[in-house]
Amino acid sequence: MTHHADIRAERLSPSGELVVFEHANLGYGKLTVLADLNLVLASGDYLGIVGPNGAGKTTILKAMLGILRPLSGRVRRDASVRFGYVPQRQYVDETYPLTVMEVALMGRYSLLGVFARPKQKDREFVLECLDHVGIADLAGKPYRDLSGGQKQRTLIARALAGQPQALILDEPTNDMDIGSEYAIMELVKHFNTKDAITVVMVSHLLNVVANYARDLAILDGGVRVVGETKEVLSAQHLTEIYGVPVDVATVDGRSVVLTGVVHD
Amino acid sequence: MTSIFHDEFMRTALVASLIVGAVCAYLGVYVVLRRIVFVGAALAQVSSAGVGLALLTGREPSLTALALTLGGVAAFSIRPAGRKAAQESFIGIGYAVASALAVLFVAKSAQGEGHLLDVLSGNILTVTPAQVWWMAAVAAAAIALHTLFHKQFLYSAFDGETARASGTRVGWWDLFFFLILGVIVSLAIRLAGTLLVFAFLVIPAVTALLLSQRLGRIYAIAIGSAAIATVAGLYASLRMDLPTGPAIVAVLFILLLLAIPISRR
Repeated sequence: MTHHADIRAERLSPSGELVVFEHANLGYGKLTVLADLNLVLASGDYLGIVGPNGAGKTTILKAMLGILRPLSGRVRRDASVRFGYVPQRQYVDETYPLTVMEVALMGRYSLLGVFARPKQKDREFVLECLDHVGIADLAGKPYRDLSGGQKQRTLIARALAGQPQALILDEPTNDMDIGSEYAIMELVKHFNTKDAITVVMVSHLLNVVANYARDLAILDGGVRVVGETKEVLSAQHLTEIYGVPVDVATVDGRSVVLTGVVHD
Repeated sequence: MTSIFHDEFMRTALVASLIVGAVCAYLGVYVVLRRIVFVGAALAQVSSAGVGLALLTGREPSLTALALTLGGVAAFSIRPAGRKAAQESFIGIGYAVASALAVLFVAKSAQGEGHLLDVLSGNILTVTPAQVWWMAAVAAAAIALHTLFHKQFLYSAFDGETARASGTRVGWWDLFFFLILGVIVSLAIRLAGTLLVFAFLVIPAVTALLLSQRLGRIYAIAIGSAAIATVAGLYASLRMDLPTGPAIVAVLFILLLLAIPISRR
């Protein structure tokens, strides 16, 4: 994988706090989805947000991005931070006749003026981003003809094109085989460790996130745990949260979360 | 074939129809991609209800149609029922009620039902040169605005959630697009009628989407197929004494049918 210095995140405010949730109640209208949330996202973090559908994962993301105000409490955001948002692939409309380059170029729009059009140097930068995720050769291909993993890489390249300090990824490995899943997770890890980009990853797959995220937030019907992955990931803790028997095993240094009991 | 376009009214009709076809085909690419085909149909009916209201009350038809259409745009872009009923159902209700009002207004107006057919199906052959100039100016402005803000319209339509996350004011751009559409539809139905305007919004765009995967070419093919259908439809309507609008729609449909086997290769 080639490495480009200009994709690296810039240093931010001295405290390094990008987003701080202080007793935040998040929801829509009269519906509170998450109550009394306290969470700090600091520069360089890798935060995994895990929980079933409807637990409020996307709600936290929207609050982080500043497109959802808290119902009460505070969400402080460093105004200088640029977030790169990678939505769920399923929400991207495939009827549009757009090439991989055209889709990734959209990530550049936020850096352009209202009337400005993308220039050659924008295209060159986007091509570098596509190269960074390993699909520069697909730039001219229609987006809708790609495989799931290639589409995911396109959306990640689009987020990188906005030169973000933080990447927010919503279920990036949904519906993928384990090979593609591994490749995407390694790619994101690379951004975090080599490019100093802060990462927030939402997933309903605890096993996938557990071995990558340094911090974990587990959401499930109001029960919430936020903390370092190695502390959150204990059998006792998970059994309490999910209300089913859970074991955490270690295989060659990797954590595996197992549920259920053996039936004879 | 050129001889029939010697008459001034025929030339005016040809130019009017080419302009309406081009601008509707262009905007139609977005209408089809955004899955708001029925917004186009409903706005056309709201607009014709405006013409009916103008005939009833003795006001200027184009302005009344425009006012009602912009009201329709505002109504369709809010969500009156929240999650209890799909937005689509309100567009359907708008279509039905506006169609009924158009007929009721015209039936009670001084000109009476003699005007009904012209209001509802339009008559491209009775267009005045002044109307054509107006349409040309507004169509040019609509295409220029849409081209100028292409990146905002495209991003908001293609992936509104991510656009919003990166600071694009998606709600405003959506409303702006609907306003442009509303203005074009309300002016165009005065020239070409609801049926032809709706057909121009949908059929050329689908034909183009079948034939190309590149947005630039798709606009060109949509406008080109609208132009071909206009010339062929007008010619056929004069030669075979057929109503003009439906004849153009028939040619648009034939071009679409021709595109299907090509798109499958």
